[in-house]
This record gives sequence, C-alpha cells and structure tokens, in this order.
Amino acid sequence: MTPQLDRRTFLKGLGVVTVAAACGGAATPSPTATTAVATATPTAAPVTGTISVYSALNQSTNDQFFAAFKTAYPGVSIDLLPLAAAGELQTRITAEKNSPKADIFIGGSSEFHDPLGKAGLLEAYISPNAKDIAAQFKEPTGLWTGWYTGIFGFISNNDRLTKEIAGKKPATWDDLLDPAWKQKLILPSPTLTGGGYIFIATQIFRFNKNEAQAMDFMKKLHANIAQYIPTSPGALTLIDQGQFVGCPNWSHDILTEKSKGNPVDLTVPTDTGFEVGAISIVKGTKNLAAAKALVDWSITKEAGDLNVKLSNRGSTRTDVAAAPGSPSLTSVKLVNYDRQWATDNKARILKDWQTAVGL
Amino acid sequence: MRSLRREPGVLLALLAVIALVLVFIVYPQVRVVLTPGSAYVDFLSAGTWKTPLLNSLQVMALSTTTAVLVGFVFAYAMVYTDMRWKPAFRLIGILPLLSPPFVVAASYILLFGPRGVITYGVFGQTISIFGLGGIWGVQTIAFFPFAYQLIADVLSRSDARMEQAARNLGAGPWSVFRTVTLPLSRPGLGAAILTTAIYVLEDFGNPALVGGQFTVLPTQAYGLISGFGDLPSAAAVSTILLSLALVLYLAKIRLDGGQSFVTVSGRASSMPRPPVPAWLSWACFAMCGALCAMILLVYGSLVVSAFTLTFPVNTTFSTSHFEYVFSGVNGVALRNTLVYGLTAAAFSSLFALLAAWLVQRGVWSGRRVLDFLLIMPAAIPGLFFGIGYATAFNEQWLDWLNRGVLIIISMIFWNIPVGYQAAVAGLRQIDRTMDEAATSLGASSLRGFRDVLLPMLGGSLRVGFVTTFVRAVTTLSVVIFLFTPGTTVATIRIFQLVNDLDWGGATAFTVIDIGLAIVALSVMAILARGRVSLGAARG
Repeated sequence: MTPQLDRRTFLKGLGVVTVAAACGGAATPSPTATTAVATATPTAAPVTGTISVYSALNQSTNDQFFAAFKTAYPGVSIDLLPLAAAGELQTRITAEKNSPKADIFIGGSSEFHDPLGKAGLLEAYISPNAKDIAAQFKEPTGLWTGWYTGIFGFISNNDRLTKEIAGKKPATWDDLLDPAWKQKLILPSPTLTGGGYIFIATQIFRFNKNEAQAMDFMKKLHANIAQYIPTSPGALTLIDQGQFVGCPNWSHDILTEKSKGNPVDLTVPTDTGFEVGAISIVKGTKNLAAAKALVDWSITKEAGDLNVKLSNRGSTRTDVAAAPGSPSLTSVKLVNYDRQWATDNKARILKDWQTAVGL
Repeated sequence: MRSLRREPGVLLALLAVIALVLVFIVYPQVRVVLTPGSAYVDFLSAGTWKTPLLNSLQVMALSTTTAVLVGFVFAYAMVYTDMRWKPAFRLIGILPLLSPPFVVAASYILLFGPRGVITYGVFGQTISIFGLGGIWGVQTIAFFPFAYQLIADVLSRSDARMEQAARNLGAGPWSVFRTVTLPLSRPGLGAAILTTAIYVLEDFGNPALVGGQFTVLPTQAYGLISGFGDLPSAAAVSTILLSLALVLYLAKIRLDGGQSFVTVSGRASSMPRPPVPAWLSWACFAMCGALCAMILLVYGSLVVSAFTLTFPVNTTFSTSHFEYVFSGVNGVALRNTLVYGLTAAAFSSLFALLAAWLVQRGVWSGRRVLDFLLIMPAAIPGLFFGIGYATAFNEQWLDWLNRGVLIIISMIFWNIPVGYQAAVAGLRQIDRTMDEAATSLGASSLRGFRDVLLPMLGGSLRVGFVTTFVRAVTTLSVVIFLFTPGTTVATIRIFQLVNDLDWGGATAFTVIDIGLAIVALSVMAILARGRVSLGAARG
C-alpha cells in the first residue's frame, strides 16, 4: 500500500466520521460543533513530537495500525514497545511510576487499565470522539477509553469433534456438560489468565448473579475438563494439534488460528461474555498533545475498520462492521457483564471456585 | 589470607563486592517485597498459596533427586570412563540449558501429549504428559546440566592418586567409588543439590506448559502478574519462595559442616585414573546416548517445525519463517542478545570467582550472609528480578543510564549463583598451602589469588561463563520489564511471536537463537583453549 493511497483512505474515513457525526447531530445537536473542531485538529494545529507507546496488540496489527496513524498525523513519530502481554505492561507501568517511560498504553482488556487509573498512574482525557462510544465501553472520567471488543467463543478440533462428539458444537455453555465431552475439554486457567476468569464471571452473570448455580455449573464442567491451561494462546495450540477436542477461548484468536489452515472451528454459545480493549494515557507524559491525538484517532471509524480487518476483533463503535465470519456484540447474545462487580469480587470468586472444584 | 587490616587491597575488594551485592541483589528485592498494598496481606491470609506451596515442595524433591542423579552419572561417565562420542555428549548435554521459555516445553507436548507424535502417533497411547509426572520428567532433563557441570568440575579435579592407592590396597571398583570418589565429590554434589533444588523451585516455564492444573508457586506468581496485573499478591509469592531458599541453604550448611575436601595439594600429580571396567563404560555410554537421543528429539522437532508451514498439520517444507525472522527489528534483537550475553557472562564468572575467594578463603565475620546472598538470586524468579530492577533503577536521576547496561547488570547478578557455587566447590578442593606458599614468599593475597588460584579454577570459571551466557540469552522474564525498543532481545521477540500464535516464526527464531549461542560458545572454547589450563585439560 502506498502512502498516498493510505492518505486517501484516511480522508475518506474522515469524511465518514464527519458525516456520522452530522447524522448523530440531528438527534443531539449540541456536541456537533465540538466534534467538527476535534476532527479538524490535525490540520488546524499540527501535533508533533515523539510518543512512547506500550502496545499489547499483535505484531501484525502494530505494524499497520501505527503506520495508518502516522499517515493521519505525519508530525508524530512513535517509539513502539511491543509486548503482547497486557499484565506485564501494566506491571511495568506500575514499576516505572517514579520516572514514567510510556506515554500511551494501548491494547489489553480494560481490566488491565482500570487499576492503573485507580492508582493515579493515568491521565484522564475525554476525547471528543468518545461521544460515539457507548458508556459501558469507557471509564466515565476518561482514565481509559474502550476502542475494541473481544467475544468469548468456543474452539473445536474438526476431526475429533466429528468422531467423538458426533459433530455437535455447543449452542449453550450447558451443552458442555454432556458426558460425551468427558476429559476432552480444556479451559484457560481461571486463576492464571484473564480469559479464564471472565469465563467464570460470565457464568455468574448468566445465572443472574446466582453464584451457587454458577459454581454448581463450574463443578459439573470440571468433570469434563482434562486440563486448565496457564495461557490462553497455549490452549489454542493444543486444540490445533488435536491434543484435546474443545476449549472456550477468544473468538478473534480462534478465527486467526482457523485462517492459518488449522483444522479448527469457532462457535459462539449463547449468553457469552466479552472484554473491552482499552487505550489510556500514562500520567507524566511529556507529549500530552500527541498522546491525545493517538487516543482521538484510535476511536475513529477508520482505526476501528482497520483493527477489525487486522485482528478479527470487534469495535466499540456501532458504525464499524464486524470482520467476515466473526461475531459482533449485536449478532450474539451476551450476558449482562458487570465489569466493576467482576473485578471487585475476583479474589472471593476464585477462592469459591477453587473450593468448588477442589483445586 | 592474612588479616584484612594488613591487606588494604583485599579489604577494598571485599567492600566493593559487598556494595555491589547490596545494590544489585538485595536492594531491588527489598523494593519488591515491600510493595505497598493491603493485597499483600489479603493474599497471604486467603491461603490460595498453600496448595501451590505443597506442589512446589513435592516437585522440588522429585526433580532435584533425579536431575542430580542423572547429572552425576553423566559427569562420572564424562570424567572417568573412556566411552565414545564424549565431545558430542558434552555439547548435547548443555542444550537443555538453552531453552527459551515456552518453546521447548511446548515441543514436549507435541511429542508426548495426549495426541503426541510419539505417544499417540507411534505407540497409540493417550497417556498424558500433563501434571506432576510431566513436570518431573521435563525438569529432570532441563536441570540435569547444572548438576552435571558442577559435579564434573569437581570430579575432574579430584586426585587420581587416592583412587590408585585404594585400588593398590585391594579395593574393588565399587568400593573405591563408594569410599573415595563419592566422598571427595561431596562439595560438588552439595552445590549441585542446592543449586538444582533452588532452580527447580524457581522454574516457571516448564510447569506453566506441562503442569496443567498442577500449579506451583512460580506459575501462580506469573498468573497473578500476567492474568491480573496483581503485583502485591505476586510479591507475596516471591517472599515465600525466598524463605524456602533460605531454609534450603541452612539445611545445606548443616549437612556439609566444616569437613575438608582437599584433593589438590602442592605436589604435582600426573597419574592416570584407575581404569573403569569395560561394561561400566558401555553402560554409561548407553545411558548418555539415550538421554542425548531424547534431547535431540525434542530440539529436532523444533528444527522441523521451523522449516515447515504449520507443523504438524501442514508439513510442507518452507523457509518463510526464517525470512520473517531476518526482517525488521529482529536483527537488532539477535545482536543485542549476543552482546548482552557475552558481556554478562564474562563479568559474572569473574565476579563470582572473586567473591567465592573472599568468602571461602576469608577470615571475617558475616561470610555466611554474603555466601547466602550470592546464592539467593537463584531463588528469585526472573520475573521478580526484573520487576525489582524496573522499580529500583527507574528513577529520574538514573535516566541517563543506557537500558542495555542495566539489562547486562541484571544478567550478571541474576546468574551469579552457579559460577559462584562452582568456584566455592573448586576452592574447597585446593589446599590452602598452595596460596599460602605464595603469600609467605611475599606476594599479596590478591596476587596469590590471581597467579596461583585463578589458573587452577579455569573449570569453575568456565562453568560460570557457560551458565551465565546460556541463561542470559534465553531469559525472558528478567528482560521483559527492562527492555526498550532499541534494547530488545531474541527472547522478547520469541515471546511476542508465541503470543501472536505464530508458532513457525517462534520456532525459527528459537533455532537461530540456540544456533548462535552454540557458535558463540564454541568460539569461546577455542579461544580459551591453552589459556585456562587445569580445568579445561582435565574436564
């Protein structure tokens, strides 16, 4: 892709944003003016300088995503620290608080950004573009902003599913209690991975916060689970190889595995959970203007479309279509996921779970 | 060594060593352990660490026993027998040290998982490698090289005359082994057991991949950081690990008391070792052969998956993964890996030797404390070593410091224990009259150390160098909190590829990383030949 073409796509994207803003403006007229100003910022007063970005995104996403940002803001150069492990980045930012080295923390579920905000390590910023993002996807004071979504799905190994489970993919999570699955399922460890915990929390919300019922489900499921795997990507590899038959895991990663030619498939059982991928500005940044520019840009439709294409994830913007074959927040039935409650009760729930399954 | 007051040079060296240890080992850990937050206490009182603790102890007992046993047989075979293929075994014997996290353990699953290429593909069995048995097996192979290196170094210096004398007095080979060889190898054995036990306790990579739900303390600590960003609770786990290491250390001190293991005295010895029976040579050969075949199988499968599209699903030959590795910032990462590893290894092995001399030969109070502090890094999971450095040395007034330098320093001090243990074990074998002869002729203690002891400790120096280098080029967890875009290393790139689910790229990168490390070690070995006499000639 030539830079010129890039710029053209960007301008087209810009047009769409402005149009969308204008359309939205019909219902709520007041913010239209600010939006117009905000989107025009790059041309009005060019943002310059370098920002250091801690990114938990995949390498392929990093490459193209930040190249596109540079096209939109040619004056800003990015010093990228790629590490596809949000927990480690969160810990780094905590450890570096005496002399912050990052300006932006991008990627990773909001659960990794939120504690940083509570510890006073993030700079609150409500981007003008954030008005297009529903309240459940952003921190009210602007400590972090959600820009993508990930939906929990189910990966199965085609060959073994056909032979051993009669090809029956789970329509609901309860289907996984079928004795046919005995010792053929794996799950990212709830105590070691964010995904595994979101899975338990999803069950609790599925039963309207009736924890006893949820724990009963987890206990029954335990009989069918051969192993709890310490990393989410590690679990996918095991299904690719056919070491086990199925595993609840992130839909976008399952699709990526499938697209590489692995003999696996994705199903999204009803009443599933999701994560909100966030971006935040680290307090003490030496280039607030450029940091704000990246936040502004990452929640544009252009950035959303690009990320969906690159990573198979969803967007927090309603005007960004899901990737072909991938679920979106509107195409699947989600539980009413209370993120704050899930975070606040984590230690207790994990302990209850360990007691219930005897681990 | 004379009294410190009369030797300002030694006193200065001692103060320098103590200062460095306090700044680069103790201080960062204090910062980690003192991580503020009620979560620390909450975590300890919730008690979710109890099962992992018991699991850790169980794994430690099992893996240490077998790893030291295997290491001993391997060392004995290399030093005592005239079996064939020794150079090949020596090289393959250190391969397990060269295992970047995740990648090698994953190769075990590929081979021995429920649908493994070997277990299911060849034997049609669905037995699983997951759990305690898997960790035990994988750790035995992963950690026997530590025991092997430490024991071989000590065995190679043991005096052949004692064994010859025993044989001449009518003792059979078994009797000589039991009453002479084994007791004389005790300093090495003790060091090997302690080091292996501590490293097993701290091991995260293997349990994480083959442990399944069998959680040990380091996997729990990693999960708390990686899955939940919960630093206070993870710091609590680190504190538990450190206490365990202290207990182990005290147990070792009690066990080997103040006995003498001197086998190198002033008199020259050029006597050959008594010959070992042919059947024993063959038995050793068979065992080493089987072990090396197993190691080659595991590493071979990495090479295969590096050269195929998507192993094992699509085994079409392809060099695309290598093309990817040689693009972008990956070249920088490989160069950094080599530079950091070699620099750290050189400084670490020399520093370890100097520190060992000050501790083992010194007559000052507080030696035990320094002794423990120099072994302690082995018990600190790399994760916490890195977090400690990131917390302690990320201050505004230190921002001028190049991150590469900080990474090298972290590698020097994190990897000190093995070289240090090797040097202490070596010094315990060398009669004090050797260095005293030099000092009574008017040389300073430092000169005696440099001109008399240092040349005799070539083997220990080599153990320190090899171990530090290998661990430095394969560590992920220490560097993950320190690297910057310009100071990234190979393991960081491999980790990124693993998390990106690019298995082919990850294995290709691993193959290159390991290959480069082997080349670097071979070059060093050739350069060192003829310079370090005793250890190299006999080992």
